[in-house]
Amino acid sequence: MARPHATVDSMAPGNPFDDPLRFERRVPECALVIFGASGDLNRRKLMPALYRLAYDRRLSAGFAVVGVSRTPMSDDQFRDKMRDAVQRFSEDTEFSPEVWDTFARDLYYAPGDIGDDAAYQRLGAKLADIETTRHTGGNVLFYLSTQPSQYAPAVHGLGGAQLGQGTGWRRLVVEKPFGHDLASARTLSDRLHEVFQEADVYRIDHYLGKETVQNILAFRFGNGIFEPLWNRRYVNHVQITAAESIGVEGRGAYYQESGALADMIQNHLLQVMATIAMEPSAGFHANAVRDERSKLLRSIRRMNREEILANTALGQYGPGRTGGSAVPGFRQEAGVDPHSKTETYAAATFFIDNWRWAGVPFYLRSGKRLPKRVTEIAIQFNPAPLAIFNGNAEGTAPNLLIVRIQPEEGISLKFLSKRPGSGMELRPVSMDFSYGSSFGERSPSAYETLLLDAIIGDATLYTRQDMVEASWAVVEPIQNAWRESRPDLPDYAAFSWGPQASDEMLARRGHVWRRP
Amino acid sequence: MGAQAALSPDQILRDLANLWVTIGKQGQPETGMGVLRACSLNLIVVADESDDFQALGETVVALMPEHPARAITIRLSAAADAELQGRVFSQCWMPFGQRRQICCEQIEILASGETLEDALSLVAAVAAPDLPLVGWCRSARLVERPDFAKLFQAASRVVVDSARSADARSAVGRLAQLSAEGVPVGDLAWTRLTRWREMLSQSFQNRVRRERLSGTVQVGVVYGGTPAPVTARYMGAWLMESLRAAGVAAVLNLVPDGAAPQDELVRVELTTNRMRTELSYRDHRLTLDGDGIKHCAGLPVATDYSLMREELAIVGRDPVFEHALRAAAAL
Repeated sequence: MARPHATVDSMAPGNPFDDPLRFERRVPECALVIFGASGDLNRRKLMPALYRLAYDRRLSAGFAVVGVSRTPMSDDQFRDKMRDAVQRFSEDTEFSPEVWDTFARDLYYAPGDIGDDAAYQRLGAKLADIETTRHTGGNVLFYLSTQPSQYAPAVHGLGGAQLGQGTGWRRLVVEKPFGHDLASARTLSDRLHEVFQEADVYRIDHYLGKETVQNILAFRFGNGIFEPLWNRRYVNHVQITAAESIGVEGRGAYYQESGALADMIQNHLLQVMATIAMEPSAGFHANAVRDERSKLLRSIRRMNREEILANTALGQYGPGRTGGSAVPGFRQEAGVDPHSKTETYAAATFFIDNWRWAGVPFYLRSGKRLPKRVTEIAIQFNPAPLAIFNGNAEGTAPNLLIVRIQPEEGISLKFLSKRPGSGMELRPVSMDFSYGSSFGERSPSAYETLLLDAIIGDATLYTRQDMVEASWAVVEPIQNAWRESRPDLPDYAAFSWGPQASDEMLARRGHVWRRP
Repeated sequence: MGAQAALSPDQILRDLANLWVTIGKQGQPETGMGVLRACSLNLIVVADESDDFQALGETVVALMPEHPARAITIRLSAAADAELQGRVFSQCWMPFGQRRQICCEQIEILASGETLEDALSLVAAVAAPDLPLVGWCRSARLVERPDFAKLFQAASRVVVDSARSADARSAVGRLAQLSAEGVPVGDLAWTRLTRWREMLSQSFQNRVRRERLSGTVQVGVVYGGTPAPVTARYMGAWLMESLRAAGVAAVLNLVPDGAAPQDELVRVELTTNRMRTELSYRDHRLTLDGDGIKHCAGLPVATDYSLMREELAIVGRDPVFEHALRAAAAL
């Protein structure tokens, strides 16, 4: 069944025969061109997501995929490679040879170097051919799944071959990182805008495509009981955690150029924070929702150097042990400089300068080689104004609302309850909502959601340039301060909850990190 | 799994509680993760004893993964003095790629026409609280009962299938009457038209094509047999209502096709001075032909599962259907 859809700017209004309650969102015909088609992202995420969309018959009959990368390959070789990827990386979808065969007929490959103008001419010819044979209506979605340094050259090549325009719509999907600081983000944006208008640029932040993150909006604005509590009067502080138990997993060379702050907090966690803290939008329209997110990001207080040192913490994991075996520290990982000063852990305290949130700390942390993989938001409410049930410390435990993004998506509310028996002894208990117990159906992966949205032209869950710039404006001063003042690294053992400095950061305000 | 239960609400609820204790104990050694109790609505199925209960049971089970429910099936015995009987049991499944079973609970009640009211009051007591209660009435004779609205007064939605009725015109009239009385009815005969309507709607996504819907539109609905089946009435009514709401004048022609199978919807035509669009059905395929566009799509035979799956996704009112129903009753 159709999910309630955001108003799509490009769709003509007024179809008298529409029935949004029952009709699926219409998925237009189009060709999807994936640059970096032999890369990890395409194999692990994009192709399994596309296969699943085909499996669910969500794709239009006039749909085709053109993979572009340097590796010389025929269409059939590309299909075989993608088949292997789908079989290997589809996590919760059975492999159906029949579905695959139908889907694979629409897979094509165009070998070429991103810097080679002739490659774009060949791509143009291939797209023209596909438009005729596969009836894609001239619509093309370009997906840059390449190294970030290739974004601008690829767009330049598309522009040079006049592929940024055609008989149908042309859109561009860009993966993060969107620059490595504010200036480079602006430069990149300028380069993209030479060929594509901002409305046609879809900056993907896959966190926003996760069902649970989308559900934050439903939870906040679809219910009447939470929003009155959603402010500085009742909320004591907010903790947002994105912990990974894995290390850099072969991405050492990339990661040491980026670090946890730029890799996670600048994009994913600030977007999640914006979703938690934004004001209600006037409607569920792409730009209305994004306007509110953007406004919130611009309201985050920018810190001076002293404030940064007091309100942030960084760390790097050293060697550790798990399950009886030793794991290397970051500096011992393949491709990593043995003297690297890159942070694998970052934590920051942010304040939002608006009437709703003034004075409420938002603690964000993300790290690798932490004890478990978990992403969650914990909203801690102020305690009851008077503790009449004296006795033990647990009798004063705060109320917590926890939104679990992964794994085991759901929402929990922690509150105090009387323990059975004589006397008035209180214990914290949990009221849990689990997605699985209310919605037996499978949740689509973030990439399924986001790819479909880009094809449909719904940019609600995509990041806009002003949001990117607002995030960098917050994060860049932290980068600069950290560059000048780094602690001795490594400073936390693998599979611990991060450096002591992070705990101290919260302790200054009398808070402690939740143990997820 | 199952247990005979004396039919008091307390006993049924106690049996359900015991059922979960048992399931929990069974689930742990297998996976170490227990089971997940799933429930997002109450599904009350009422069917005549002559119905195919095995197929019905399979349909309910198939619906559970997407619409986990406390499913309560009432089997209507033809014997007037049949005593109320009941049992509780569970349906569990393991989602692909996961390690924890998900389980839903089912209650089966045997009732007669005379004890149906008691059975439905029992249902009100054992339904999972605060969750939508959807009725699925498969008995055409039950829909005719004057107290039908009262029987399902607790339901947030009642789904029937007017195609099961021998007299299409009166069946639609009865549903329109119930709807006017405030019963939130749904009709699987209408659900069968979704693919038709969606395909037609998609062809008018294009603004240029919509602009050609000017002047007076001749709406033709061609069907097999006589009189016009429910689906033809709904289709004609929906098209006329949609055009009327858009301020477009239209004339409806319901046209029998003697060569077509009885009660089959054969073709829909929209004709103006500037365009002609035809949507036709043949050999499980829908073909849209108009303004140089020709598009085919498979239309598999609708099953109770596929129809109810769609209906259960709608928990509130269905205004498009309600308008079409009102208009169909007036044809």
